[in-house]
Amino acid sequence: MIETILNVVVDGLLIGGIYALIAVGLSLQYGVAKVLNIAHGEFIMLGGFITWTSYKVFGINPLLSVAICGPLIFVLGFVLHLALFKRIRMTSETEGAFEGNSMLACFGLMFIIQNVAILIWGAGIKGYSYLGFPVSFGGGAVFPANRLTTLAVAVIICIVFYLFLSRSHMGKGIRAAAQDPDTAQLVGVDINRVLALCFGFGALMAGLAGTLVSMCYKVEPTMGLEYTIIAIIVVVLGGMGSILGSFLGGILLGLIGSLVSHIEPGLTLASFYLIFMILLLVKPTGIFGK
Amino acid sequence: MILKSKRLFYLLCLLLFLLIMLLSPLYTSDYFLILVSNILMYIVLTVSWTIFSGPTGYISLAPAAFFGIGIYTSAIMGSQFSLPVILATGAAAAFCCALLVGMVTLRLQGIYFTIFTFGLVELLGEVVQWWEVNVTGTTGRIVPGTEYTTVYYTMLGIAVVLMLTAYIIKHSRYGLALQSIGEYEEAAGHTGVNVTALKIVSFAVSALFMGACGVIMATRWTYIDPSIAFNPLFSFLPVLMAIFGGVAHLFGPVIGAVIFSYLEEFLTTQFPYYYMLIFGVILVIAIVYLPTGLTGLIRKLGGRLRRRHANT
Amino acid sequence: MFGKKFFFGLIFFMIAVLFVSSPCLAKDKIVIGQPFSLSGPLASGAASSSGPFYKLWVKQVNADGGIYVEEYGKKLPVELIRYDDKSDVGTMTKLLEKLILEDEVDFIFPPWSTAMLYAAAPICNKHGYILIGGAGGAVKLKDLDLPYFFQVLNDAETQMPELAEIFADIGVKSAAVVYRGDLHGIEYSEFSIPEFKEKGIEVKMQQSYSPGIKDMSSLMKKAKSKNVDAFVVHDYPGATMLGTSQAMELGINFKALHFNVGPCFTFYPNTFGSEVVEGVIGCGAWNGKSTPGAQDLIDRFNKNMDQKMPDYWGGLFYYSSLQHFRQAIEEAGTLDQEKIRDVMASKTYKTDLGDFWYNEDRIFTNHPGQIGQWQNGVFEVIDTGEKRTAEPIYPKPKWPGKKKK
Repeated sequence: MIETILNVVVDGLLIGGIYALIAVGLSLQYGVAKVLNIAHGEFIMLGGFITWTSYKVFGINPLLSVAICGPLIFVLGFVLHLALFKRIRMTSETEGAFEGNSMLACFGLMFIIQNVAILIWGAGIKGYSYLGFPVSFGGGAVFPANRLTTLAVAVIICIVFYLFLSRSHMGKGIRAAAQDPDTAQLVGVDINRVLALCFGFGALMAGLAGTLVSMCYKVEPTMGLEYTIIAIIVVVLGGMGSILGSFLGGILLGLIGSLVSHIEPGLTLASFYLIFMILLLVKPTGIFGK
Repeated sequence: MILKSKRLFYLLCLLLFLLIMLLSPLYTSDYFLILVSNILMYIVLTVSWTIFSGPTGYISLAPAAFFGIGIYTSAIMGSQFSLPVILATGAAAAFCCALLVGMVTLRLQGIYFTIFTFGLVELLGEVVQWWEVNVTGTTGRIVPGTEYTTVYYTMLGIAVVLMLTAYIIKHSRYGLALQSIGEYEEAAGHTGVNVTALKIVSFAVSALFMGACGVIMATRWTYIDPSIAFNPLFSFLPVLMAIFGGVAHLFGPVIGAVIFSYLEEFLTTQFPYYYMLIFGVILVIAIVYLPTGLTGLIRKLGGRLRRRHANT
Repeated sequence: MFGKKFFFGLIFFMIAVLFVSSPCLAKDKIVIGQPFSLSGPLASGAASSSGPFYKLWVKQVNADGGIYVEEYGKKLPVELIRYDDKSDVGTMTKLLEKLILEDEVDFIFPPWSTAMLYAAAPICNKHGYILIGGAGGAVKLKDLDLPYFFQVLNDAETQMPELAEIFADIGVKSAAVVYRGDLHGIEYSEFSIPEFKEKGIEVKMQQSYSPGIKDMSSLMKKAKSKNVDAFVVHDYPGATMLGTSQAMELGINFKALHFNVGPCFTFYPNTFGSEVVEGVIGCGAWNGKSTPGAQDLIDRFNKNMDQKMPDYWGGLFYYSSLQHFRQAIEEAGTLDQEKIRDVMASKTYKTDLGDFWYNEDRIFTNHPGQIGQWQNGVFEVIDTGEKRTAEPIYPKPKWPGKKKK
């Protein structure tokens, strides 16, 4: 019995780490830039493919390809915001209109990125195996090395990111912009640059998540949407815009999923949706929100 | 006087157009009917989406859910019942589901409402899937096909009734009240209309047409399963079409649906390998440069022309 | 300002679109239409399996100068028109009817996946178009009894009894069966579980799960705790990749490990490395040793396409069905669907997989194999009987563990 509980908890934590990393980027993009990025999963897919290419074609260690993948996708996100969302923000009359329009623009982006990926990498399924062996810490408990690494990297990335937001000068600007864009602008924060940076950082997190996801799952051009959905669920769970909340939300969702799939695997996804919808109704600010 | 005759002229044009549509099975090809039925499907989904979401500004991503309910009703009742019975049941089922959803989502604002409705599509798909696997023991269902003309006329009928409904709602005091919800929800209460009930009912009315649309489309698809019926694409496309056409005017969504569904037909057949790329680019450009949609642009251009005319 | 320019551009584009004429169909070529999933969730599967084989066939036929049709007294080259169905059944049916009614193509090639075949078969039948089943097929489809539909791929009905036979033969005593909660999984489990029981294999665990599964570790741990010999998964490539990597990561090894769809594709050993997948069993199956023509097909494929042979389940089936189709057209001497259909239903022709014919229910039965197993980088057919290309490996070797560099 204790072993079963332990198994459920460990499985939940391991997958929860991935969920958390998937969601943090979206949380930032929505929380500060107010863009509900439906194409979030597409950035994850790009990260996965870049990692796959650098590992399979150039033999670069997947963990090192974070250094290639991160900046590339950051620039993509940054430029996209300046070219697209900045304009939508100016032409939209209300914040609600901006949220709606930018979400729909993201839907268009999703189509574009998917098609480009199919043209570059082909539509077929890709994958590689890295650190795919068990690690034992004694006592009979066995953990998968790659998922353990993923969890560790996810935790590190989230902590670094959290510190960046709470300690650095740029991070403070971002937080100010998130809380009160107008005042931030008054005190000399270049709001468009900050929002673009935010969107870029969100994309960067998605790219890193893609790197880690590709270590555990297959990669294909159409894989994005399922990750987007998970990210949205986690973000709602943790409270929109809260980095810490998203991290905890991811872990929580992992635990819930692990528990439900232990009892009735057919209802795992249904339980995700149900929990998330109930939460939206009862406490839209998320479990960890104010 | 001038206004009256102008309105009469428009009305006559519409009637003539309707007559042409009614008679078209006599002189057009089968595929033309299929194509037009498909366009009508998008018109129905888009216009019915606009009934609620247009004036209130609540972006609903639930169309696929109500559409899917219609599709599944059609698949379950399939061969045992006649089409009108299935149509009524499917529409009623979607209506009731929307009433329920409307009631529970009253408190949700903005993006939370959007996400909730999107979750609804996925949840329904998962639950139906689980139900089919564990209770009925299968998931795929064959839907008996119908004649092209039956589909065409039914679709046309739904579209006409929908347009009339949308017109009546828009030009009644309920339409005004809905509009005021979009502008300032708290103030809307002062117009003397029960805002809460209005919101729920108009949401349900829009679902009713989506459900009916699903019932008839399923007969064209011949085979369905939960992932086919509850395809999130049918949530996004109506929204995009409506925004593209412009929601301020009743004909905006119609124009958007016609152009988009034709564009889709053209791209998937002529540029099958670049369909998503071209479609995506057009979408993004439309949203960035046409925030008020095509009708908004036409009105703006029209206004400019008139002004220039007045100057000379 | 840009908005206005863009708007006029768009209007111009629309008008231009309206005047694009549909393809002209003078009889100097045979036009074949295929609604296919080029985008959307099915695209990756379609591209990894049957997609390239139709293209290869067209290429090869045209390299010969085309198909000789007596009616026209000459060889007609073949043109394949593909439309993107976006992985959506509604779009697929619409495009299929466009191909038939508006483009009036000569023949139809099948869309991808079982659900799509289900939807396409009645439509083709209604219009009197031959539909040669490609990737996909389900036992239920045979009940529809459509005279213009030909089933090519093997399915649960023949594969699961063979799997049970092999298991009994190699000494599997107990099994865990887990399956995707959809048509595919249910149908396979309905065949596998009774067959296992009949062969005296105890089914200690059976469980369905939701199609988007992201974590199979608890299923595998449960099966391991019940100490089963064989772990059988009825699902598509996604779960196959997931299950393989998780079993490997956790060091959970079963004496026999079976996945339905996935092991047959070459991206499977390419992903994990051939030493890792050694001993994994999957549905299929054929390889270069199956028939003399099979190796030739692999060589031709690798030479003519910009990828290596991807599919050791359906590849030989699809290609051979097209070779059969071509010979049927040449024998019928016409492009008339009904006459060709009659020839197809009755005649046997030599193809890359040997003799190819359909039985009285228009089902192809001379399969080159049902079950395969990866051995030394080859997907060996391990069916009992003469189709076998190698002895099964049992028990499956341990996962190689940490890679030595």
